[in-house]
Amino acid sequence: MAERAFEGLRLEELRNCFQGVIPSIIATCSRDGIPNVTYLSQVYYVDPKHVALSFQFFNKTNRNIAENPYATITLQDPVTFAMWRLQLRYDHSEREGELFESMSMRIQMIASHTGMAGVFRLLSADVYEVLDIEAVTDFLLPPDPAFDAPIVPASPSPLTELRGLHTLLERVAGARDLEDLLARTLLALDELLGFSHAMVLVPDEARRRLVTIASRGYPDDGVGAEVEFGAGLIGTVAERRRMLRVLHMDEELRYGRAIRSRAEQCGAIGELAPEIPLPGLAGAQSQLALPLLEGERLVGVLAVESRDPLCFDDWDEAFLQIVASEIARGIERMQEDDAGEGDGADVRATPPRAPDRLGHVRRFVFYRNDDCVFVDGEYLVRNVPGKILHKLLVEYLHEGRTEFTNRELRLDPSLGLPKIKDNLESRLILLRKRLAERCPDVRLVPVRRGRFALELDCRIELVEKDSA
Amino acid sequence: MIGPELATFLQSGISILFGTRDELLRTDCGRAMGARVEKGGAELTVFLPNATAGRSLENLRQHPELAVCFCRVIDHHSIQLKGQAVAIRTATAKDRTAIDRYRAALAESWAFIGVPAAFTRRMSHWPCHAVRMRVESIFIQTPGPGAGGPLGAPQRRG
Repeated sequence: MAERAFEGLRLEELRNCFQGVIPSIIATCSRDGIPNVTYLSQVYYVDPKHVALSFQFFNKTNRNIAENPYATITLQDPVTFAMWRLQLRYDHSEREGELFESMSMRIQMIASHTGMAGVFRLLSADVYEVLDIEAVTDFLLPPDPAFDAPIVPASPSPLTELRGLHTLLERVAGARDLEDLLARTLLALDELLGFSHAMVLVPDEARRRLVTIASRGYPDDGVGAEVEFGAGLIGTVAERRRMLRVLHMDEELRYGRAIRSRAEQCGAIGELAPEIPLPGLAGAQSQLALPLLEGERLVGVLAVESRDPLCFDDWDEAFLQIVASEIARGIERMQEDDAGEGDGADVRATPPRAPDRLGHVRRFVFYRNDDCVFVDGEYLVRNVPGKILHKLLVEYLHEGRTEFTNRELRLDPSLGLPKIKDNLESRLILLRKRLAERCPDVRLVPVRRGRFALELDCRIELVEKDSA
Repeated sequence: MIGPELATFLQSGISILFGTRDELLRTDCGRAMGARVEKGGAELTVFLPNATAGRSLENLRQHPELAVCFCRVIDHHSIQLKGQAVAIRTATAKDRTAIDRYRAALAESWAFIGVPAAFTRRMSHWPCHAVRMRVESIFIQTPGPGAGGPLGAPQRRG
């Protein structure tokens, strides 16, 4: 028979169960004695004596709790499958604040992926006092040695990871520029800490989008790929400026699709948006995204993912937060350093390379209506990076210039860079990488901090059009 | 009343949750290890493992109100049945065959969502009690708007 053990068992010890991997069961009872039992998508740890349950739709559970505040839930460890039963008493509901925000983010993420943004949302975080915890000791039979390999819970090795973190921070500190900093960070995350699929995105606040400027572990580096603010995991993290971890992505999406299907059947809502394909790694099961913040300002998002459904834990969150603050500081530092460099010397006298001696022709088309650049009929880049490339090519073709400074770009009002915190360095990285990918015979090569050269192995033709 | 299509769903090797209550209206819940639709859909027998359902079996002897929720994990399609336990007995060898068939089907359906069959096989399932329930109401329990709404004409509030 199950044994009562609340006094010897602390809620914190059940942390693995709060990741939503195995759905919990909840039973409630109406005032007139009719029980109700159903699945819960996730139980949230609040403090050693409280848990929170999400309230998205009015249902029988809510109605019962309003009449009779007691509930029983189960929790299950996703690694060992051990089960606990918790006796709860409803305490209060929160509709704002830290707890509400963190619970609401996960729901927003599922909603946006399944085309239900604004339809499926958290109404309140319902906080329950934990009255008793009981280990359901007989829930699992002993393993059968003939069939069952022993389950070995993953044991984090903090010492190894701390050393890895220390080495990573040392490598990052030696970065020459932002591109080098991001490349070093992603390489170190992979080599030292085992995050083999990672990307960094930077915001384009004016367009409410994030643009990928560095990635590691993907067949296509995806630089230039965009995510809307508020869309999916990464967009949600950017909008709410909070970290979000999702395990067992398939299960989350199945849950979202079930709600979508019910919503459609009930005709409870208007037309739903299409489902958003998951970005990044095909078949990813675990995703963790962290905002890169300098004070309150968002300077980017770091996202890591894995096909292992239980890949990330609290420890990963903790040290990735350290890495994220280091990247954020690095981005900020590179911008500041760079703002004061590259001025003084007159770069207008740079002798041009003789176009006649270069080989084939690259035909660039600049569309003024959306600052979009195509090369040889294929999309290359747009917005500020598009305008920068246009400026460089015009100056090269008209004046023969091949060297430029970040400072002159900052001072050029036609580029529309904000006066402060302009993310110029990030935009140049994006442009440089897009050129390397689509048009490798046109390169932007750093000469020293704040100055770069336009290197060409081809002749350039530039056409300007009002629109496509 | 359980129709033939619903009976097929309920007996298709999907997750089965049960909920009971005591005299103070405090609840207990857990997993049942199989179910059988009987008496042309008017009754349902569910199998509750002794090891994990002890409190619920005690509850049912005093307070026969029983809720049983069926959920297909692959798409969360869920149905809840409510009613009164009309008989509680020790499960027989014949029941055990049904329970073993249920475990095999459950292991197969959970494997689709990544739960190892080794775990499903180890879930406590024997000895068991068979609880026969008179079905009084049936509800749609799939998460989303309208969850908890009646399926067909309910004879009693849920």
